[in-house]
Amino acid sequence: MDFNLSEEQQMLRDGATRFVREHYAFEARRALAKSELGYSREHWQTYAELGWLALGVPEDAGGLGCPFTDTAILLEELGRGLVLEPLVSTTVLCARILDRCENPGARGELLGEVAVGSTILALAHDEPGHRFETARADVAARPVGDGFVLDGIKILAVDGQAADRFIVSATLAGDPVPSLFVVPRDAAGLTIETYQLIDGSGAADLRLAGVACDADARLAGPGRAAEILEEAFDAETVARIAEAIGAMDAVMAITAEYIKTRVQFGQPIGKFQALQHRMSEMFVETEKSRSALFRALAFLDADPMVRKTAVSAAKVAVADAARFVGAQGIQLHGGIGMTEEYSVGHYFKKLVAFEKMHGDSDWHLTRLVADYH
Amino acid sequence: MEFGFSPEDEKFRQEVRSFMRANVPADLGRRSYVGNHPPLKADVQRWQAILHKQGWGAPHWPVEHGGTGWDPIKRHIFMEELYNADGIDFGWQGLHMVAPVIIAFGSEDQKRRFLPPMISGEDFWCQGFSEPNAGSDLASLRTRADLVGDQWVINGQKIWTSDAREANWGFFLVRTDPNVKPQKGISFLLVPMDTPGITIRPIESIEGGLGLNEVFLENVRVPKENVVGEPNMGWTYAKYLLEKERTASAFLYFNKRELEKAKIIARSEKLDGAPLIETPEFARKLARVEADLHALEWSVLRILYGERTRHNNDAVVSTLKISGSEMQQRVTQLQIDALGARSLREYHGFGPEVMDGTDTWPAHIPGPMGLYLFSRASTIYGGAREVQKNIIAKLAFGL
Repeated sequence: MDFNLSEEQQMLRDGATRFVREHYAFEARRALAKSELGYSREHWQTYAELGWLALGVPEDAGGLGCPFTDTAILLEELGRGLVLEPLVSTTVLCARILDRCENPGARGELLGEVAVGSTILALAHDEPGHRFETARADVAARPVGDGFVLDGIKILAVDGQAADRFIVSATLAGDPVPSLFVVPRDAAGLTIETYQLIDGSGAADLRLAGVACDADARLAGPGRAAEILEEAFDAETVARIAEAIGAMDAVMAITAEYIKTRVQFGQPIGKFQALQHRMSEMFVETEKSRSALFRALAFLDADPMVRKTAVSAAKVAVADAARFVGAQGIQLHGGIGMTEEYSVGHYFKKLVAFEKMHGDSDWHLTRLVADYH
Repeated sequence: MEFGFSPEDEKFRQEVRSFMRANVPADLGRRSYVGNHPPLKADVQRWQAILHKQGWGAPHWPVEHGGTGWDPIKRHIFMEELYNADGIDFGWQGLHMVAPVIIAFGSEDQKRRFLPPMISGEDFWCQGFSEPNAGSDLASLRTRADLVGDQWVINGQKIWTSDAREANWGFFLVRTDPNVKPQKGISFLLVPMDTPGITIRPIESIEGGLGLNEVFLENVRVPKENVVGEPNMGWTYAKYLLEKERTASAFLYFNKRELEKAKIIARSEKLDGAPLIETPEFARKLARVEADLHALEWSVLRILYGERTRHNNDAVVSTLKISGSEMQQRVTQLQIDALGARSLREYHGFGPEVMDGTDTWPAHIPGPMGLYLFSRASTIYGGAREVQKNIIAKLAFGL
């Protein structure tokens, strides 16, 4: 074991730190979040040039094939800056599905595009009637000719406002579990409603009314789709944990700075032990989270049962820690922490959103508990 | 960064496991499993002798003094397996606290004299640091030692001294120069516990144990050469001692074993006919603790492997003490929660009816309440949690 960065990893981190410093100062980020698009295509191109989009893509599909740890290192840094581009959806969640799918043609083509930054992907799996269930999709798929026709409603496709293509789960009549299809944004019969989430990212609802797709749009059949989804959700969860830890670290730095300068009762409020202890508790929680992240990384590619409990344990531990750190960041600031024009509240919203994303802490707790039976 | 366990480590684990299986004496393991705290001196010594015979009496010592030369992961695996097999942890004050100080700062004569009987289990040590008016503020200690001829004459009082009645040796922090800054005038003295002038009074703690003591020292005379290193450098040595055991405060192996025990209890206790562990309320409570315990384990590994963090490393170490001490309270609370009202029955000692259990009061019942009650001390000793928080605020944030 080695918990220190290799030279390449240090360069990756330094590059990301520099990028955040130069392009993601709070005011710049705030303006970008309020822009029409909600993120920057220019930044996306920069990520492609820096190799960040190719990091986790396998070498046989035109990527760099780096271990997932590198992705975590990158995302922690970007999490510090509350970066808005849809990296996790495209390069982790959807790329992971593509990498493990049963359609070699689509895998090669789409992963190749992910690696060079020429496509943005979002997963459309959630529906009004269920949450996080990988083995269920009420959207219906009908075989028509050589292809399929999809009908139904998807909600909360995270980063869907930016996506060129969606990976859509849909169930064929007679199948107990869904298959996965790739559907382009401009497909006939597809209506997209986009909206923002509290953390500055976007999402989309999809209404599919007779959306036709070719046979080769099917990425995975009912035999594998649920398993592929669950594995990809786990990778996404670990990626988002890394982002959250970056955000938690940033909250601590911002808050420590603030309480050293804010004067009340004739002294900086950071002199008060009650506040010092709260900062220490935030530190304990953040370091605990970092340990949970390392453990999840260690078991992400292990046997599925081991992987699931490791990822769920990490999410349960970090979700509570994240909300605590974010909330205390606001508390120690007092009123200014409540304002839209100050950074700490935006971190809180990011951390609240993190807890809810793909397997909230209750869902992961349930998955952990299943292990006790 | 790379987080794998190697096949060689797994092989080592099997080796240690089969050794433990074959060598933990049944009665000793039973006492340890049931929760007999603190362990009997005879058990500690017998177990130490067994480990020593195998060459594993002090894995963390330098090889020339009897250490094993294991890397951190092997030491970690060893401790895990030791606990899993209900072996007893090392006599902490001797092998882990005073020994590293003697090895680093003691004279050759002290090394020859003290290390061999310590590793063999013959000598039993206690620690005299805290005083009635020097707890968290240890540097204000007042027990003094004056050099009279070629002897130190010690007068004062120590408190919370674990195992003082069982130990034949003690290491004491004493004031040898009252005229300098408090930290500068302290020496580190080695004292035979049967020296005339030492009076020991046991303190009964809330769980009924008598492991803690007050130690009164009245004109206690020890030879001049019983000082470790230089006189008046004791504070530095004491800090070294605490830094040497950076991960011990996590009580990781204890916590892991006791969590497993909580699961065993929750599987055997029934609620409406179903095992308690399958009820959502208990299972979720358990899972939350277990999730944090997994993280604690990896916090220990991070430190064992010398991660260079972006924060102050000592602040990161202090988080272990906080999380690990709270974890002891949480894990033992799970045990008594799993037992419900049956945990409340008062037991006196660990007689055969306790060790074997009865049909209505099985053997897993008597231990947990004692551990739970005693675990209130875990956030107090070795630097109270609130002091650790002061340290973190200063080191991590400059507050």
